[in-house]
Amino acid sequence: MSSHSAFAEAADALAVSVLGALDGTGGAVQLARYADDAPDTLAALAAVRVLGADVFSPHLLAGHPFPAQDTAVVAKAFDAFPASDAPEEAAVALRDHATAALLARISGDDALGGLAPVPADDAAPDDTADWSAWSVRMAQLAPLATLGLDGPVHEAARRGALSLSRGVSRSILRRDFPTAVRLVRWLAWLRYDGAELPLDPDVAAEHVWLVGGAGPRAALDLAMARHFLELPPGTAPKEAARP
Amino acid sequence: MTTIPEPVTRAARGMADRALSWLHANRHLGGLPPGTTETMADPDSVYKPLGETTLAASLILRDGVAGPGRLAAAQSLMDFTWEQFRRGDMIYERQLRHTLMTDPLEMYAPFVRCGYRHEALDRLLVHRSRMRSVSSVEVLPNRRLAVANAARVVGLDQAEDLNALAGATWLGARPEPWAINWITAYAMTHTVFHLTDWGGNPAGLPPELADYVRTWLPVWIDIWREVGQWDLVTELLVVGASIEDPYCRAEDWEAVAALQHEDGLVPRDSDPVDDDPQRRFTDHQHTVVVAAVAGSIALARAAGQR
Repeated sequence: MSSHSAFAEAADALAVSVLGALDGTGGAVQLARYADDAPDTLAALAAVRVLGADVFSPHLLAGHPFPAQDTAVVAKAFDAFPASDAPEEAAVALRDHATAALLARISGDDALGGLAPVPADDAAPDDTADWSAWSVRMAQLAPLATLGLDGPVHEAARRGALSLSRGVSRSILRRDFPTAVRLVRWLAWLRYDGAELPLDPDVAAEHVWLVGGAGPRAALDLAMARHFLELPPGTAPKEAARP
Repeated sequence: MTTIPEPVTRAARGMADRALSWLHANRHLGGLPPGTTETMADPDSVYKPLGETTLAASLILRDGVAGPGRLAAAQSLMDFTWEQFRRGDMIYERQLRHTLMTDPLEMYAPFVRCGYRHEALDRLLVHRSRMRSVSSVEVLPNRRLAVANAARVVGLDQAEDLNALAGATWLGARPEPWAINWITAYAMTHTVFHLTDWGGNPAGLPPELADYVRTWLPVWIDIWREVGQWDLVTELLVVGASIEDPYCRAEDWEAVAALQHEDGLVPRDSDPVDDDPQRRFTDHQHTVVVAAVAGSIALARAAGQR
């Protein structure tokens, strides 16, 4: 019997697996084997949906293969937990669409992009005047801060470097470290993209890690941030898939 | 061009007027106990608050944007605190007894700003300012700025390089804004207060520090508003009103104005306010002083004085 806690445990376990693949301490993720071996298949599929675009990280960042059977698992996860098209869940819709777009691109099967509807034109949070609420919404979209994606959310991030930096500062001061690490991930992506930042994301990332501790999913956000921070600033390719 | 939104000036007017009324109405609760001498056991209990009240009144007189009745009340407060200090004799005696102490000079400066002078103290301060021992006392950089600004107001010759002093403060390092804490935030506000001479000279804050302050002030106000640290929040409003391109967000000013009691008290934090008049004065006098200063500076900026 799957439960919310079983889903959370499965998401943590998958995050650990992705982390291991990213930093070389574990083997390839092998989503198909992960789903087959899981004691609770539904929880395993839920974990795939929770991690969203991050399940592709070992492929996008470390060059691991993403075989057809793994593509099938992601598609199956969308079957089990259909993409959201509820207007009040804009962040979920954007994350779902990004996952489906990457899946289509990596698999070469454009039809898979249809697993999630295209979000409304105004779905990307763009009101940086209210930097505090805006940065919280951007934290929910941290999985989009990855290689191979570019779109309205990324454009908003480029316009909102100051707001994201304020959001990092605010969340650290409030000891809201899960939000802090997601926003640090955006700052790291922005630096890789070539943005000038009003604070040093390297120091902030290390501080959040040392002071805040982290579960596997926060550790995954941090690993993504560190990956971007290790790349020379401003070296992001200018062409990427629009989610 | 200085722009202060209209809702801010409205909130600032109420804060300043009512805070001044409260300070004036309750001034006797802040008087020095009979028999107080220049060597006091606890200078922070009454002596320092008297200086803070003096500072608020002096800035309201300097800014001159209060109505005639309020200006008269500010003048009356200055007269009251000057009398408390026995027309400067007590400040003089404290400086005479404690050569290296800086508080007499800092206490005297607001009086000088408003034309009150004590001849023997003036001579003593000139003598003291020539002493290497005095200028070599080891103090925190933001405190050194306080002394330097007081010396400037009093008209003493001094060799302090204010920009070099600014660079030695926490703010001067433009550090990680997320690594600030409560006491460091107060140090930062005072660095701005002294470099800008309490909002009278916004250009006194070096441009790169003003940019830094303007960048991170929204975060600091946000987090200390959330935990109800109203004394610090109000100091941060002073900072925002004192920089070259002021940062005065209506919602922040209205939040503090909404907290102000009918009689003018502004609570220092989110704890309940005691009913006992003396307790109320002791606990919240500093925050009321800061509210008066914040309002006066914002109104002066809105009036285009600087």
